[in-house]
Amino acid sequence: MTCQEFQEVLPYIIESGGTADQEGHLRECQSCSELVRDLRYIAEQAKLLLPMHDPSPRVWAGIEQSLARGGLVSEGRTSRPGQIKTITTQTKSWTPLGWALALVAVAFFAVALINYNPHLPATQAGAQNNSAQSAQVDGDDQQLLSQVSDPDVRRAYEDNLREVNAYITDAQQAVNRDPQDAAAHEYLLDAYQQKEMLYQMATVRSLP
Amino acid sequence: MGPTATRLYNEAATRPHPKDQRPHKVKLTQVKKIIANGLSEAEAIERAKGGDAECFEALYGLHKRRVYSLCLRMTGNTAEAEDLTQEAFLQLYRKIATFRGESAFSTWLHRLAVNVVLMHLRKKGLPEVSLDEALEPQHDEGPKKDIGARDNVLAGSIDRVNLERAIESLPPGYRIIFVLHDIEGYEHNEIAEMMGCSIGNSKSQLHKARMKLRDLLKLSRAEKAIRR
Repeated sequence: MTCQEFQEVLPYIIESGGTADQEGHLRECQSCSELVRDLRYIAEQAKLLLPMHDPSPRVWAGIEQSLARGGLVSEGRTSRPGQIKTITTQTKSWTPLGWALALVAVAFFAVALINYNPHLPATQAGAQNNSAQSAQVDGDDQQLLSQVSDPDVRRAYEDNLREVNAYITDAQQAVNRDPQDAAAHEYLLDAYQQKEMLYQMATVRSLP
Repeated sequence: MGPTATRLYNEAATRPHPKDQRPHKVKLTQVKKIIANGLSEAEAIERAKGGDAECFEALYGLHKRRVYSLCLRMTGNTAEAEDLTQEAFLQLYRKIATFRGESAFSTWLHRLAVNVVLMHLRKKGLPEVSLDEALEPQHDEGPKKDIGARDNVLAGSIDRVNLERAIESLPPGYRIIFVLHDIEGYEHNEIAEMMGCSIGNSKSQLHKARMKLRDLLKLSRAEKAIRR
């Protein structure tokens, strides 16, 4: 079997596997095996992509207006767009531990904003160091996780923290490579906001 | 967001990859366990069916990010993605009474959103053009291109930021199939049904999308190497 013959059928066998002849070619041909490895790697990485962006408040405002115009809900029946995402009802029950964790989350976000400064010098070595730190669940994360009693929930949080840390790592590296890259800064900010949200949710949820 | 929304918003932290939520791969998510002390998503859905606006808003808060991200990735355009997100949730409001719980609510909503995007793109004529491309021989692409190539493999060298950018750069037809299959977890038979094409066509498009992404990612890596 030639490379051309193999690559002609590749779209149809890459997920299900091919015939013995095709698999034999894949084992023996470095070019085709590298190609298949790359394509599978891309597919694996795509599965890890998170929904990173929130819609503008305009979207909810538009939905409300359309529903009201259509007479489906009365004007003002749903909350105003400005009220979205408030968690004031939880505040009264916050314990000192809750406040401490919230402060950690805020401090974490403040560090993120400092890193967001495009003029901040960053060496490649520094970038690698940051990446290594943020790609794992760090001490603050561990402290947060220790407050979550349900093991299933804790595992879910840990997975989410790892994912968002990996995003932070990637975005930080992109910013370090090109400090003028506005899109990379946006990714970094989004990633830190997601992490902040995780901290907020875990803090609120862990309260009595 | 009201208290109902806040309780439901907490579900987002434990939401699994969409692929795990497909009807044929349903597994017990954390969600049902977590919100036992509050209003469950199922309860919010039932109340929204009865016209409870706060519960509908809560469902919006819970699913807006995934729906918007889906629309944004499929269209590559912020304004279009916002319009389509709005349209998807308006359709949700109108159709939520028809949700029978045969699949996960998120799966049902995602399918609804995908249909909204595809309907929009059909009106623009983009998918048809791209699917036609797939049926014709491509002289600048295809098997010969990689024969004898000895480039370094990508494995371990791409990050999510670069991958997101590369996906944005894909031609619309390729991007749609790639997003539906590799990110959203739809199977080829489902994509073929939604797109009105054959399963083979879907596989072919996906392959071309991945090949294009591979080229884009290698190019990006080479440019970075030059800059250093």
